[in-house]
Amino acid sequence: MEPVNLFDLAAKQSQWLSVRQSAIAGNIANANTPGYTAGDVEPFEKVLDRTAVSLTATQAGHLGTAATNAGFTVKPEETTGAIMPSKNTVVVENELMKAGEVRRSFELNTAIVKAFHSMMMMAVKS
Amino acid sequence: MISGIGGIGSLQLKPEIGGTDAATDLFQGAKAPMAGAEIGTTFAEALSQAASKTVNTLQNAEQVSIQALKGDADTRQVVDAVMSAQQALQTTIAIRDKVVSAYLEISRMGI
Amino acid sequence: MDALTSALKIAASGLGAQSDRLRVVSENLANAQSTGNTPGADPYRRKTISFISELDRASGGTMVEVNSIDRDPSDFPVEFQPGNEAADDKGYVKMPNVNVLVEMADMSEANRSYEANLQVIKQARDLISMTIDLMRNQ
Repeated sequence: MEPVNLFDLAAKQSQWLSVRQSAIAGNIANANTPGYTAGDVEPFEKVLDRTAVSLTATQAGHLGTAATNAGFTVKPEETTGAIMPSKNTVVVENELMKAGEVRRSFELNTAIVKAFHSMMMMAVKS
Repeated sequence: MISGIGGIGSLQLKPEIGGTDAATDLFQGAKAPMAGAEIGTTFAEALSQAASKTVNTLQNAEQVSIQALKGDADTRQVVDAVMSAQQALQTTIAIRDKVVSAYLEISRMGI
Repeated sequence: MDALTSALKIAASGLGAQSDRLRVVSENLANAQSTGNTPGADPYRRKTISFISELDRASGGTMVEVNSIDRDPSDFPVEFQPGNEAADDKGYVKMPNVNVLVEMADMSEANRSYEANLQVIKQARDLISMTIDLMRNQ
């Protein structure tokens, strides 16, 4: 397997995290909408497996398209627990927990990018 | 990506066995430079030791960070690895700069 | 429109919907005792609000909006108040079909949802800010 570029991986993860954030926003906004099913992005590991082969192919067409989901599918989650009479499956507490995870991962992501970027600049300078 | 950082100097140092990763450990085991022809080998050995330790530390930091981005690494480990890499890199760069400026100074000395 | 901005837009629509819901609840509570003016007249009829999700083309996210504000069709309870101007010939007055406890529960639910949407806005804003910070301190 060819070596993974750290900055490319970080960019992909940050995109994935942003799409997840907007899925969480949609769930929370629609917590009281009858018939709405909560959705979430596909797991990041699946995304990596899928795009390992076609990474170069997607790069060219990436910018400029209106698709905000950037190629990540957002699917309805399987429901566990009680089904409300309104058929709404959103559990706000779970959504807030997911939001916390997104935030932590995002912070780590930006911190890693910042650190490695500054190391590269250090090495190149002087 | 690490190769970009690894080629930090024009000095060609042969890689040697690595060691612990604290910045002060970079010169562990290096003998004090002595006069005469012995300066070349001892100092170069010390430098190449330091450089390969740095490269190892950097590679380790990159590995751990990639694991973290994929989703399964301990946060503290990532932070420690990256900080060690920064320390090692900073030290190596400082050494490189000193060596280069020393070389330039020597080359300016009248014969 | 990138995903984080879309998250902001979605959460803002949630805030708007919950605000409308709170407005309906407060109208119901304010009129919980509002009987009619003439004998046998109908009192205030409870309002209900319903939401609908809306797929936004530009952002690709599902926002929420108010579908309609309707009236609760359930029967009016009656109370015996012969002195009331709305009392019929037997002295019974039709009272609004507002249950204060139900309205209070709805209000705290609406508050909770409002807070959750607010959290999303704060977080999305922070994430955007973190991204821009990457460029600073060079």
